Amino acid sequence: MTTEAIAEVSHLTKAFGTVAAVEDLSFAVRPGEVCGLLGPNGAGKTTTLRMLVGLIAPSSGTATLFGTTVHAGCPELLRVGAMVEQAAFVPHLSGMTNLRLWWEAGGGRLHDADLDGALAIAGLGDAVHRKVRTYSQGMKQRLGFARLLLARPELLILDEPTNGLDPAEIKEIRNLVHRLADHGAAVLLSSHHLAEVEQTCSEVVVMSRGRLVASGTVDELRSSGATVRIEVDDRTAAAGVLRSLPAVGKVEIDGPELVVQLRDGRRSDLVAALVMAGVRVESVTATRDLEDVFLGLVDQSEQLRTSQAGQSGQSSRETR
Amino acid sequence: MIALLRTELIKAVRRTRTLVILAALIGLPIVISLAVNARSDRRPDRGEGLFRLASQSGLVVPAAILMMTSAFLLVIIAGTVVGDAVAGDAATGNLRYLLLRPVSRTKLLIAKAAVSTLLVWVATAVVALTGLVAGVVLFGWHGISVPFSVSDTGAGVGFDLTAGQLLARLAFGTAYVAFGFTALVAIGTFFSTLTDGASGAIAATVGVYIVSEILDAITDLGSLRYGLPTHYRTAWVDSITANSFSGDLKAGVIVQVVYALVFFSAAIVWFRRKDIRS
Repeated sequence: MTTEAIAEVSHLTKAFGTVAAVEDLSFAVRPGEVCGLLGPNGAGKTTTLRMLVGLIAPSSGTATLFGTTVHAGCPELLRVGAMVEQAAFVPHLSGMTNLRLWWEAGGGRLHDADLDGALAIAGLGDAVHRKVRTYSQGMKQRLGFARLLLARPELLILDEPTNGLDPAEIKEIRNLVHRLADHGAAVLLSSHHLAEVEQTCSEVVVMSRGRLVASGTVDELRSSGATVRIEVDDRTAAAGVLRSLPAVGKVEIDGPELVVQLRDGRRSDLVAALVMAGVRVESVTATRDLEDVFLGLVDQSEQLRTSQAGQSGQSSRETR
Repeated sequence: MIALLRTELIKAVRRTRTLVILAALIGLPIVISLAVNARSDRRPDRGEGLFRLASQSGLVVPAAILMMTSAFLLVIIAGTVVGDAVAGDAATGNLRYLLLRPVSRTKLLIAKAAVSTLLVWVATAVVALTGLVAGVVLFGWHGISVPFSVSDTGAGVGFDLTAGQLLARLAFGTAYVAFGFTALVAIGTFFSTLTDGASGAIAATVGVYIVSEILDAITDLGSLRYGLPTHYRTAWVDSITANSFSGDLKAGVIVQVVYALVFFSAAIVWFRRKDIRS
């Protein structure tokens, strides 16, 4: 039996004027999952997260939280802790006053919130009583974490959460995310730091130009594509041979090696093709980190779009 | 709703800017009172008439100051407070976090407009009270004797106003001036929902009032001027200078209510549908 999704988007689309920020996006986050939302700048990650918390209304499709369609100010937001882009506060008020007013604005009383736990996470000490305008970016981010934990959320939505944090703080946040997931909370996290997603997330959704490119577990994505580094005697000739193969996505010369992104097929096929072309192969090394997979997927998506746009333009000209 | 009101009030009151405004609201009436005390050239035309009468009684001084400040200083202050209400939060990014709570956008906007209105009323009252204290110290607490009334319709017969009557009319004038910012609050709230930059909303709000004053001065516009938000701004002055409560007072209230209904409704409709991208 499939566990009911805590957060789900279905055929979600958002256009700003003629620009489609998100197109026909569907994915779900279930209890205990830590889902990474990956994509280059402008992929539509933040717009997606904003639609999921009711800040932006979708043009079509639906976003649901706990099985209920999201709308601005919906009660389900009480069960969500969200940090959308940078943590922001009223600068002329103290950290503590910000937490209190933010909490009370939603109709609750501060002693009902998990204030002690949240402040322990923030680790700001007496600085929590200082005006926020005196805080560093890292302190604001930590206060932001304290704020989103006040409600003991069942779903955390984090948009680039480690921006401005030092490595120790990043590790602390990573551990926190794991602890919350272990207690059954779901986490949806967007990040540019692929290594961070690799270490933090169990599931990944990859977006490019507003569209879903791939989704699955980190292991599934790693095995869906690979990058191969090949050392040869004649790099130029080898690059020409490899670029002619349909199984190869992108070929780059990197020092003494060629970096080859495989769409499908096996490494042995590459070696065979090179040997047949008279190129001596010194070594073949497969690299399979998420970054390579991510870049390969985004690149494929871009190529597909360019190709579709070209066909569309040609078709249009033929019609005329 | 009360929690939202409290939140918005605390945010607004605990700003350094609020203290600066308060200092200006206290300081300016004192300076004007001293200037009135030092002034020797007094002409009995409208508005000027209040300043002429001010030397007779300290109870008229705050009325004269109210008339003067309601043309510009209070407009700037009201425009600043209301223009910043939504757009200021958007500029700091705080608006999106406020809306991550299960908060109705309509209620939030009502809370922001209510707090802006309250602050404008308090600002008007501070001007009146400070002017009253300064006026009584400089000119004393007593009634006035007006040898001939001065109003839009021309000079009339003279009359006397006791200190009690003057105080009541000052309270009435203060309330009318404060209420006269209702349209500005609604217009400013609407502008504040349109932009994520507070300075733009503030400039647009104050700009509307300045343009309104300019248009009102063009008599060739005839009855079109009656619909301007500032046209009836000084209608209350006749209660002191001419001992009369004209129909302009009622018209002024109606104009304010109409602007408030139109612009506040527009603000709610817009804000409810707005994509929060700040």
